[in-house]
Amino acid sequence: MRTPLALLSLLFCVAAVPAQQKETKLFAYNYSIDDLDNGLRLVTVPTDFPNMVALYIVVQTGSRNEVEPGKSGYAHLFEHLMFRGSENYTPDQRDLILKKAGAESNATTNQDRTTYYETFSKEDLDPVMKLEADRFQRLKYPEPAYKTETLAVLGEFNKNSADPTEKLDEVLYATAFTKHTYEHTTMGFLKDIQDMPNQYAYSLQFYNRFYRPEYTTIVLVGDVTREQAVGLTKRYFGEWKRGSYVPDIPAEPPQASPRTAVVDWNTPTLPWLAIAFKGPGYSDEKKDKAALDLLAPIAFGSTSDLYQRLVLKEQKVDNLGIDAGSHPDPELITVYARVKDPRDMDYVREQILATFKRFTDVPVDQTTLDATRSRIRYSFALRLNSSAAIANALAPYIGLRRTPETINKLFTLYQQITPQDIQSVANQYFTPNNRTIVTLTSKGAKN
Amino acid sequence: MMRKLGIALLLSTYLIGSPAPSKLATVLLPGSSPLVTFRILFTTGSAFDPPGKEGLAELTATMLAQGGTRSMSYDQIVQFLYPMASSVGSQVDKEMTVFTGTTHVENLDRYYSLFKDMLLDPGFRPEDFRRLREDAVNSLKVSLRESNDEELGKEHLYNVIYAGHPYGHYNGGKVSSLEKLTVDDVRSFYRSHYTGANLVIGLAGGYERAFESRVETDFGKLPEGKADKKRFDNPKLAAGTHIDILTRDTRSTAISLGFPIEVTRASRDWPALALAASYFGQHRSSNSYLYQRLREARGLNYGDYAYVEYFPRGMFLMVPDPNLGRQQQIFQIWIRPVEAENSMFALRAALYEYDKLVRDGISQEAFENTREFLTKFANVLTQTQGARLGYALDSHYYGIPDYNDYVKTQFSRLTLADVNAAIRRHLKTDRLRIVMVTKNGDAIRDAILKNIPSPIAYNSPKPKEIMDEDKTIQAYKVNAKPEDVVIVPVAQVFQ
Repeated sequence: MRTPLALLSLLFCVAAVPAQQKETKLFAYNYSIDDLDNGLRLVTVPTDFPNMVALYIVVQTGSRNEVEPGKSGYAHLFEHLMFRGSENYTPDQRDLILKKAGAESNATTNQDRTTYYETFSKEDLDPVMKLEADRFQRLKYPEPAYKTETLAVLGEFNKNSADPTEKLDEVLYATAFTKHTYEHTTMGFLKDIQDMPNQYAYSLQFYNRFYRPEYTTIVLVGDVTREQAVGLTKRYFGEWKRGSYVPDIPAEPPQASPRTAVVDWNTPTLPWLAIAFKGPGYSDEKKDKAALDLLAPIAFGSTSDLYQRLVLKEQKVDNLGIDAGSHPDPELITVYARVKDPRDMDYVREQILATFKRFTDVPVDQTTLDATRSRIRYSFALRLNSSAAIANALAPYIGLRRTPETINKLFTLYQQITPQDIQSVANQYFTPNNRTIVTLTSKGAKN
Repeated sequence: MMRKLGIALLLSTYLIGSPAPSKLATVLLPGSSPLVTFRILFTTGSAFDPPGKEGLAELTATMLAQGGTRSMSYDQIVQFLYPMASSVGSQVDKEMTVFTGTTHVENLDRYYSLFKDMLLDPGFRPEDFRRLREDAVNSLKVSLRESNDEELGKEHLYNVIYAGHPYGHYNGGKVSSLEKLTVDDVRSFYRSHYTGANLVIGLAGGYERAFESRVETDFGKLPEGKADKKRFDNPKLAAGTHIDILTRDTRSTAISLGFPIEVTRASRDWPALALAASYFGQHRSSNSYLYQRLREARGLNYGDYAYVEYFPRGMFLMVPDPNLGRQQQIFQIWIRPVEAENSMFALRAALYEYDKLVRDGISQEAFENTREFLTKFANVLTQTQGARLGYALDSHYYGIPDYNDYVKTQFSRLTLADVNAAIRRHLKTDRLRIVMVTKNGDAIRDAILKNIPSPIAYNSPKPKEIMDEDKTIQAYKVNAKPEDVVIVPVAQVFQ
């Protein structure tokens, strides 16, 4: 699930790099790609980390795929239902196999993908692959279990609901998008979550549409060979039938004027400010997104003039960060700020807007741009400290392009970006008509 | 009493001690990784905060990790670290303070030149102090009190259990004490506690072996000082169940309960009790008993877990952070937020299941499956270089062997009888402490004291076994005296 607090620390999902290949490849592990006839893809990455295997199964289905009104949150609900049993394994049997494998096992959902993962000892690879294959092809959950699981989803909503940034995001996306499914969060609207118990039949249809091999990529990282991985994948997933459903995800029309929204929060909080511009979708070929990826930390990261002024010198803001995530469709570039005194809200908003404007007027400094490329390279390298971490770093890119090579293509693109490219892209996207501003303050707070 | 393990178990696969003439304690894991990991540990922490200066240990560590040195301001430090994508982190608990950092070996010299200055030559600049103290106050007033009911409940539970004990305040301090702290307090804490006697140097990764001596020489310049070797006793709790109901405007109810145990990782009974807790409520795992009964069978909430070691930030973590070693621990149950109308049912269900565990113990099958899980899961816990180094430092603190070897050896020897004996010996019901975070304080207090039944309604048919059990749970008595069920407005917590 997305949370701006987590994003404040860093924005890049980038991976480890043996030094000798550093200039050419960001992801320098040898990997193989094997495609089955049914459309399923397998990516195998053998590593030197001993004994352990990380199995990540990435389904290109997230809240973006939820096209019907009143049906927000179903991709995430499915993340839960996939643990409710399949034709050949009851939930208890599933739990027992994973328990005996000593596995860490869970799943995550965001706008664009659902990722299921297990990390475990290599000797358990066969039973775990067999178990996973059953739920992806033959999920079977009775209606009472379905209804009970919808309550666990409500419980997840509840556990997040004390956090004001969850609400901030919900309102931001509902304001910035009017047609595209990015309008709703991955968790979904509360009213839709509360209606889930009545939608058993719809849930079966959702599975039937999206849990198909052409949407799915298996990523195996660790103490494993390609031969093993291909053999097990063919044996257990080979009979999986290709689907036919393609969601009609509405394009978001161009925004005609700036938008704003205000959230009154019931309990004491420091006020939050979210300033967002519509940005481009992910590309490893066109320069737009790559240029904005580089600009984001330069303009709003911890070394930026703005951060140094608002957070370190004037100390008016205690959290400042930017989310410029990568998505298949155009999404948002959002600066979040938590302001210490409500009376400074106008000042902080103007400072952030002036910073966006500044980068449309003045090109970034070449030295800072080079330092940012270095930072991307090392932050990726530092992340790749276990097989599970490597699989986890790959998952977003698998969700976007189904291949690790897109990471290398993107990094090559980063090397080509000039200060002028960045200025030109800033001019294209940082326009008032492309903007949404949401403020969240405690009820009764003055600003 | 804590029972220490026999000396025969003190085998080790990592290097403790040092070939250099220095007397500094070291834990070294040289290897071939392109990354180099630092964990510089001081065996001091918030249990050494002077009275009235709660939060000083943590603010001191933060001043080092997020403040300037004498020669560089913090904004210069941020600029310096930026191209390396590295940072310096700190973590403070009752008896441990650790500074962490990882860098690519290509940047090791540059990174270390700064890292050592941040720890050994801190600037204690007033502008950093002003920012970090304000952050500390806001993290209590805004982040913990008002945006995370679960961590709020768990941390308050610790404060209740250790009231009047050196562990009896949140590591981050109190609002009232933080507001009085000065830079001189920080300097003074640094001088007294950041000593050679408290230091353990942890290094891992693909550095040249000569680098170890360089680090030891640099850190050898710290004053030798005296070690913070204070003995902390088990808190003496009054008999009976005590319940704090923290009230705030929130849509659901979070519940935490627990009591002190005389078991740490170094105790003879630790493997048995750790196994019992894992069976009952392995963190974030669906294959544990409590989760099955409360979430899977009844849909009460998102998850239900049990612990024998302090596990802060559990809301955000799948596995615990290392370097939270303590002489004293608690047994804890964490019930994630439930719908407000199910608050009493959830509390009763947790107590009912806990009492059943204490009464019946666990089965042979559950024992064997959990043992297999934990034996293998040690590899998951220690899969990164940073985690391996952290666990090695903890093993050094507890005086036990390498964690993975220790776990494998201990669990292979364990029997079901050991586990059930440990449950009987350590899991109590006579001094329970409970914290609930809710908007319905009065109604819950009433329901507890008058033993008002709390039936639960489901949205789907349930098996007879569940319906029958619910009849017992909905009237399950919470034995607490009126004076021991206290409503606490959230603004008073951590004040």
